[in-house]
Amino acid sequence: MNDFEPTIVAFFCNWCTYTAADLAGTSRLSYPSNIKIVRVMCTGMVDPKYVIKSFLEGADGVLISGCNPGDCHYINGNFKARRRIKLLKEILAQFGFQPERLRLTWIGASDGIRFAEIMREMTAQIKSLGPNEGRLKMVI
Amino acid sequence: MNRKIGKALVVGAGIGGIRAALDLAETGYGVTLIDRAGHIGGILSQLDFQFPTNGCGMCKMLPLVERDASSQFCLRKGLFHDNIDIRLATQVASIKGQPGHFTVTLRQTPSGVDPQRCVGCGMCQAVCPVEAPEDFNAGLSVRKAIYLPVPHSLPNTYVIDGSACNGCGECKKVCPTEAIDLAVGRWGRFRILVVDDEMIVRESLRDTLIEEGFTVETAESGASAMEMLAAESFDLMLTDIKMPGMDGVELITAAKAAHPDLCVLMMTAYATVETAVEAMKIGALDYLVKPFDPDVLIPMVVKIYDAFQAAADYKLEVGAIVLCGGTGFFDPAQGKNTYGYGINPHVLTSLEFERLLSGTGPTGGRLIRPHDGRPVAKIGWLQCVGSRDLQVEADYCSSACCMFALKEAMLAKERAGGDLDAAVFYMDMRTFNKPFERYRLKAETQHGIRFEKGRVHSVTTDAATGSPVIRYVALNGDEHVETFDLLVLAVGQRPPAGTQQLAEMAGLAVNSWGFIDTLAFHPACTAARGIAVGGSFSGLKDISEAVIQASAAALESSRVIHASGGSLALEPSSTPTFRDVSRQPPTVLIGVCTCQNRLDAAMAPRALKALLGADPAGDEILLVDGLCTAAGWDKLEAHLAGGQTNRLLIGVCHPYLFGRKFRELGRRCELDPALMDAVQIWNVEPASVPAQSRSPFRADLSPLRMGLARVKKSEPKPVADVSVVRSALVVGGGIAGMTAALSIADHGFPVVLVEKEGVLGGNLRWIQRTAGGADPQGLLAETVQQVEKHPHIRVRCGNRVTASWGEVGRFTTAVENAEAAVETIEHGVTVLATGGREAPTRSYGYGASVRIVTHKELETKLASGELNPGALNCVVMIQCVDSREEPRNYCSRICCTASMKHALHLKEKNPQVSIYVFYRDIMTYGFNERYFTEARRAGVIFIPYEPAGKPVVADGPGGDGGGLLRVTAMDPILGRPIEVEADLVVLATGVVPELPFDLSNAFGAETDTDGFFAEAEFKWRPVDGLKEGVFACGLALSPRSIPESIATACAAAQRCLRILSHEKLPAAKVVATVRQSLCSLCERCIETCPYHARSLGPDRDKVLVNVAMCQGCGDCATVCPNSASVLLSFSDSQMLDVIDAALDRV
Repeated sequence: MNDFEPTIVAFFCNWCTYTAADLAGTSRLSYPSNIKIVRVMCTGMVDPKYVIKSFLEGADGVLISGCNPGDCHYINGNFKARRRIKLLKEILAQFGFQPERLRLTWIGASDGIRFAEIMREMTAQIKSLGPNEGRLKMVI
Repeated sequence: MNRKIGKALVVGAGIGGIRAALDLAETGYGVTLIDRAGHIGGILSQLDFQFPTNGCGMCKMLPLVERDASSQFCLRKGLFHDNIDIRLATQVASIKGQPGHFTVTLRQTPSGVDPQRCVGCGMCQAVCPVEAPEDFNAGLSVRKAIYLPVPHSLPNTYVIDGSACNGCGECKKVCPTEAIDLAVGRWGRFRILVVDDEMIVRESLRDTLIEEGFTVETAESGASAMEMLAAESFDLMLTDIKMPGMDGVELITAAKAAHPDLCVLMMTAYATVETAVEAMKIGALDYLVKPFDPDVLIPMVVKIYDAFQAAADYKLEVGAIVLCGGTGFFDPAQGKNTYGYGINPHVLTSLEFERLLSGTGPTGGRLIRPHDGRPVAKIGWLQCVGSRDLQVEADYCSSACCMFALKEAMLAKERAGGDLDAAVFYMDMRTFNKPFERYRLKAETQHGIRFEKGRVHSVTTDAATGSPVIRYVALNGDEHVETFDLLVLAVGQRPPAGTQQLAEMAGLAVNSWGFIDTLAFHPACTAARGIAVGGSFSGLKDISEAVIQASAAALESSRVIHASGGSLALEPSSTPTFRDVSRQPPTVLIGVCTCQNRLDAAMAPRALKALLGADPAGDEILLVDGLCTAAGWDKLEAHLAGGQTNRLLIGVCHPYLFGRKFRELGRRCELDPALMDAVQIWNVEPASVPAQSRSPFRADLSPLRMGLARVKKSEPKPVADVSVVRSALVVGGGIAGMTAALSIADHGFPVVLVEKEGVLGGNLRWIQRTAGGADPQGLLAETVQQVEKHPHIRVRCGNRVTASWGEVGRFTTAVENAEAAVETIEHGVTVLATGGREAPTRSYGYGASVRIVTHKELETKLASGELNPGALNCVVMIQCVDSREEPRNYCSRICCTASMKHALHLKEKNPQVSIYVFYRDIMTYGFNERYFTEARRAGVIFIPYEPAGKPVVADGPGGDGGGLLRVTAMDPILGRPIEVEADLVVLATGVVPELPFDLSNAFGAETDTDGFFAEAEFKWRPVDGLKEGVFACGLALSPRSIPESIATACAAAQRCLRILSHEKLPAAKVVATVRQSLCSLCERCIETCPYHARSLGPDRDKVLVNVAMCQGCGDCATVCPNSASVLLSFSDSQMLDVIDAALDRV
């Protein structure tokens, strides 16, 4: 199990977390390469179907990260995301995916160190959960 | 784009400078934005969190209209705008000319690293052996002599700290792009050759010049000098005349023949007029007499250097100049240093502490003592260090430090998880802006911050732990001694370095403390027309005020440029034409930067084919060696122009840098920039990779696949369809409304000014004098006259707005006059300047006695002569009547200064009168502090009270309301009750807004809990409504003094001009659309849009998107149950393909 390298799809908002990712890079911090970054304008535009699609196509984890509460470039997109993701977590099990595979965080633009930490944390957590088998069980 | 003729220079690229530059650029002017630092953002680049939200949000300053002209990413990272030319490490060398036509000389400080070549890989930093304190972390951490000024900013060009660099050359050896030139020191690339046959002269001259920082070589004869000149380039030669072999004259003749640009200084032991004349004839600039006096030599060399440097200076013609020089800070180590700053390492300045809280700070955001890394359990904030202190000649308040300390204390509490004892030692807690009083309450009640009133005398050190110990006397006289882990000094403002020189250059006056002086009623204007002041340059301000001031400065500049001719003439429209690719199958040109052949050229095509080959759209791959270079870019352009591809994707190291390049490329190749994208394939190697590893970058090609998935389905940008009615409606004819109307009308746009009263003037009509002695009635008469005579302003007095429909670009408003006749007005923008009034009160027995008056009544009665100051014996003033407590829990900010004004006036007219002021916190912020000082000097007695123990006003001897009044209160200093018999009690009741709900609602504007206009964002968009096209100024926005109201009016006008300068508002490439055939009219998208950009069409049969208001957040697309709402560039189909690509599913 230890040599399992998970694939994590990460939806990062254009304003804060994407900048933090860039800062982590330019600050020469290392974080696991398991994260596949998809830039979105706002966490509020992450449609639940993108998350389900990611799991269906083989993602072992999905991470969504945006601006800190109150800092959203679009005023309240991150709050909308928070509501939406909470509901999504409730129904994720019905699709056969463990809700723990989905995580929503806030990482501000200058939090390069926190960014790298969360990437490590997330990778470790998904590693401990093992490969996403929900997809294989699914018969569509 | 309708680019106007006209340019402006903005000096200082902090928050103020950025706001002013963006305002002017969005209005269509060309702007040159300079900063002497190597980065933009000023002090805000060091502050991650800002009150009162304790978050960031700087990006909200970016343009909302014509978004694609500007960068669309975190503003901390960088700023690009098509109309702004940013020049860093640049200062003003001279200003000449007159308003409308200035010639400015700019001088760039050489940094030693060529920004065109540096790729920011950081290999130089890794090998640099020299360490120096890091300015970015306020000196709490170290950096190398070659470093990035701000770790996250773009362009990420390294610079060399000339004073720290030892010239070892290690960085030059490892630099992969040969960007480093160590010859560039304090004197740039200026090189000197000393020629003399006597070794002692040669060497002493060399040492003297090197000590001054010059780069010097020597030669012992004319022949060897000629050889050296041929081998290397020199700018100045100092040569002896009498030398064996080739003598000085021969050498000069030969050298000037071969190198005509070489400057020559001649040295002689026997100076005569003849030798001098001869030397000048053959090309020497001057001569030196041996033996040299360094005091003569160095100035002579510097003079030649200046002339040499002037040739490299950049000359700029501008119409107006905005100075946003920011602020400097008091150095607490100077003078008596009773707080032991620099002696006890646990005493920090507020800026140093701020860096401790930052993720990019010295501790990575962990709250520990920076000096010894020990945990922190108790922190004290000492306010007013270097402010409100006559001993250090600072008879002013620095305005922002109280809030700054509260913010730091709250953040520290959050970091420490609540176990922290945080105490603020203050004299008056100055929470004078609209939301600040509630912020203080939150700090006190929710975060448990301890507030201790009083000034701490001195700091000593605990011998055992080294912790700082303070000794202070509480209000009741008890002495306390407390030990803290850290002390934070709220260092006050000082004029920034270079203010005096800049003021002299621009012909401006400075006030008694060295800050730039502005006009009494126009805080953005200086005595020199055409030179405006924005941000904190005329005194420290919080972000919101600095931004207002910057917009006002932009307005004043725009007015001067416009008045000096032609600035509003539209250039022939040069809207680029793009070829129609909508019916073609997508074919993408994929330009891959090989980063100077770091990508294995033999392997790359095969690897890329394997990666992208399955997709027929991605067939065209072009390897370019350095897309960041002009040659590389030209190659890409040639390929794109000549080929059949209709999309472009590039893989580079910094995708952010390509926005503007794409727009230029699109124009030339007739391809919509919305069909282009850049992805990052080159990453800096993490620090964990050993430094010996050869490559500075690591390639990861997989983003190309995701980029391809997205770009191949991208669609052209929609056509602009929001046409603008180029006129404005201003509601309210007070000083703010009149100023806004004039500011817009002066640019040639028609304005309708609606006032509900029969006359213009509002509150200004009853204000007789200001604390500073300026004449409000003169201002009123002058402004009313200007408004009434203005050809572009229609005044509608005695009218009121009854209804309004529409949105930015086109509002239709019904205005009704006294006879109930309705007029319909069409306008593109709306300014709400409905004002405010003195709050009514029932407290303190108001109404029961003619001797109890409000400020307004006092002012009026003094003016009419009804009240004779000479007949008064004792006057009591009570501050904060019904304010700073629920339900009106905000400070009205003008009452304290008004009380000082009245007290000083009464004292002047009748020095015998006793005046007692009962107060909670005296809010004489900024330079108003001097009136507080004057009042105390004049003998006015100030007595603090708590909301729980308010003074009591009762009938005194004489009774029946006509006689004297008895005021009783608890004096906390004496510790016992006091009683005053007053013949006048003056109540400071504060300001309430006059912005009726139906009026604000008609324009889609929102109000806050106190009824003031709710800004889109308090700090970053302080005069905008959330709904684009609606702005507010004056008292309707928040309580303000006359000049502050005028500043908001100018700012609101500037925000309007940004829209009115367009005939049509352009759409951006990331914008929402509706697939009408799929739409079920559920209206959820209308409900969720934070910008009110969506509405139901006139026939209620479809949902419309105002593309100018839409900011592209994509929330509407997420809530749409039918996928009828689509965010262009991020459509569902694109996103699903990107997910597939991310998971290797293509």
